[in-house]
Amino acid sequence: MKFHWFHLMPYPHLPNDFRQKYHSVWVDVPSRLFDPAKGHVAYNDYLDELEYAETAGFDGVCVNEHHQNAYGLMPSPNLMAAALTRRTSRVKLVLMGNSVALYDPPTRVAEEMAMLDVMSGGRLVAGFPVGTPMDTVFTYGRSPATLREKYWEGVDLITRAWSDPEVFAFNGKYTQLRYVNIWPRPIQKPRPPVWIPGGGTVETWEGCVKRNFLYAHLSYFGYVAAQKVMDGWWETVARHGVEPNPYQAGFLQFVAVADNEAEAERLYAEPALYFYQRCLNVFPGFSDPPGYGTIATLRAGIESQVARAARQQSLGELTWGELLKRRYIVAGSPQSVVQQLNEMADKLRVGHLMVLCHYGNMSKETTFYNTSRFANEVIPHLRSRFSEWEDKWWPTDTLEHIAKPAPLPANV
Amino acid sequence: MLSSEKIKLKNGRSWQIYSAGKGAELVWLHGLSGVHAVDPAIEALAQNYRVVAPLAPGFNDRAELDQIVDIHDLVLDYDDLLEELQLDRLPLVGHSFGAMLAAELAAHYPRRPSKLVLISPLGLWNDAYPVADIFAQPYLQVENFLWHDTSARDRLAAQQSEGQNQAERIIAIAQGLTAVTKFIWPIPDKGLRRRLPRIKAPTMIVLGAEDQFVPPAYAHDFAAGIAGIQSLVVPGAGHMLPYEKPEEVMSAVRRFLSAK
Repeated sequence: MKFHWFHLMPYPHLPNDFRQKYHSVWVDVPSRLFDPAKGHVAYNDYLDELEYAETAGFDGVCVNEHHQNAYGLMPSPNLMAAALTRRTSRVKLVLMGNSVALYDPPTRVAEEMAMLDVMSGGRLVAGFPVGTPMDTVFTYGRSPATLREKYWEGVDLITRAWSDPEVFAFNGKYTQLRYVNIWPRPIQKPRPPVWIPGGGTVETWEGCVKRNFLYAHLSYFGYVAAQKVMDGWWETVARHGVEPNPYQAGFLQFVAVADNEAEAERLYAEPALYFYQRCLNVFPGFSDPPGYGTIATLRAGIESQVARAARQQSLGELTWGELLKRRYIVAGSPQSVVQQLNEMADKLRVGHLMVLCHYGNMSKETTFYNTSRFANEVIPHLRSRFSEWEDKWWPTDTLEHIAKPAPLPANV
Repeated sequence: MLSSEKIKLKNGRSWQIYSAGKGAELVWLHGLSGVHAVDPAIEALAQNYRVVAPLAPGFNDRAELDQIVDIHDLVLDYDDLLEELQLDRLPLVGHSFGAMLAAELAAHYPRRPSKLVLISPLGLWNDAYPVADIFAQPYLQVENFLWHDTSARDRLAAQQSEGQNQAERIIAIAQGLTAVTKFIWPIPDKGLRRRLPRIKAPTMIVLGAEDQFVPPAYAHDFAAGIAGIQSLVVPGAGHMLPYEKPEEVMSAVRRFLSAK
C-alpha cells in the first residue's frame, strides 16, 4: 500500500456559531469572515505541514481545488504544488487536481501540470476532478447540462497534448485549436499518471476504466460509508474485464493517532468537530442542481428527500463518539488504527490511501504529532498490503538527481 | 383532456405534440412543468382556439438536446417543427421558459408570429431586481417558490393522475429544469435584450404580482425593447399564474388575441 498526506487547507478561524448564523460554507460564504493576515499564517503553516509529510515518510502529498469555500483555501492547487517543488525532493506531488471543464482552453491545465512535472523532476500525479456543483456550476457558472461532456473532452485533449509528439489540430465540441503543441513537455512518458477523484457517479467509473485511470473516492464519511461506491467501482472494473488491481483505486480517510482513545479525544475532538460542524455547513440547494447527475440519480435523491422530509441527520448534532462509531474518523492507538485500516483495505481494496492528519482548526503541533505517529507506527504495519500487485498508477520516470534550491550569494 | 401524438420530422427529430380545441390555430410554449393531459391553462385557451403544444426537447429524453447547443439551435429546432406542421403565421403564447422561447422565436423570425403573449417570461436580466436562482432552490421548496396560491396547485394535483405524488411533481420540475439549464444557466439573458427590437408582432406581457422567480418589474424591461407592448400584472399570483388563475389570465389573453 502507498500512503499520501492530504491537505484541504481550511480557514481555521470560522466563528463558533458559524453553523447557526451563516447560510453556507461554500459559494456565498461572507468574505468579511476572511482575515488575509490570518490567511497568510495559515498558508505558511499548511505548506510546512505538507513538507513535513515527506520527512515523516509519506509517499505522496495531496492538494486539491475548491472555489469560494472556507474549508478549502486552494482555488489553485497548482500554486501550492509549485511552492512544494522547492522544499521537497522525494515525495510525489499528487495534484487532486484541476477541474478541467473550468479552463478554456484546457491546454492551460496541460501546460501548468507539465511545468510542475518538470519543476519537480517528474514527481507529478495528475488529478482531474469533474468538480463539485458548488465549484463548477454555482461558482464558475458552468451549465450542469454540458459539464461532464466538456470535462471528458478536455481530459482527452490534455492527455493527448502530453503524449503526442506532433503538433495537432483539435476540433472539439467545446474547444477548437489549430495548433496544440505545449511547452514544456512532462518528464514522465508518455504522460504523468492520471487519477480521477470522484463521489460515486457511474459515468466517472466508466470513463476511468476505459482510459486506464485511477479512481479515487474522496469522501468525508469514512470507509464504512464508502462501501457502496467502491463496490460500484469494482463492479465496473469487472464488467469491462479489467484485472482488479487495488492500485487502480484510492480512498481518503480521516485519521487520529494517539496513545489511546481518551488521548485521541483530547487531541482531536475539537478540530474534528470544527470540520464536521462548521466546514460541512453547505446549503443543500447548492449540492445537487438539476442536470449535474443523471435523471435516475436525481429521482433517487428527490424520492429519499421527500420520504425523509429532511436531508440528513444534522451534522451539527454529531459528537466525537458518533464520528468514531461510524468510522468517519479512524481514531485511537496505533494498534487500533492499524486494525481499522486493515478492515478498510479488506473491504474497499484500495492500494492508495490518502489520509487527513490535519482537519478543521488543528494546531501545527498536533498535526505534526498525528503525522509522525501515523508514519512511524501505522504505515509500517500496512506497507506490505497488496504487494503482490504492480502499481501502474505511480510516477516511474522521476529523475535520479533532483535540482535543489542553491544558497544565494550574500551580496553581489 | 388534451390529446397527444408522437410525430417524426424529415430531419429525424421526434416530437410529442399535445393539442386541444377547435378553431384558429395557436401555439402554446410551455413552462418548467411541461404539458399534462389535464392542463387548465391550455384548456382555457382551447375554448376559442385549436391549441398546439409541442413538448420541448429534453423534457422526455435528455438525448434530444445533444445536437442543440444554444438558444439559437433551439429556435431553429422549433422553426423546423412549425415549418413541417405548416404553422406559418399564428399567435405564439408562452409561459416562463416557454415565453422566453416565444420571444426568441419572434425575434429570430419576426414574420412567424401574428401575435405574441409572454406570461412570466424568462430571458432578461436586471441587476436592480435579479431573476432568482431557481437552480439553488432545495427540491422540497421549489413548488412553494413557483406557486403563490398553493391551494390552486393542490386542486390541479388532485385532477392530474401523475400530480398526486409530491415526489413525482418535484421530479417533473427537476427534469424540466435539467432540460432548460443549457439555455438559462447561470443568467437567463442570452442576448434577448439586444434582439427584442426585432420583434414586430403585437405583444402582450402578463406577470404575477407575487412572482418570486421573475419579478413583475420585468414588464418594464420587455416594454423598453418591444414597441407598443401591452402589460398586465395580476395581483395575488406567482410564477405559475396561468395555472393559479387560468380563467382570469386566459380571458385577458383571449381578448388580446381577438382584438383587431
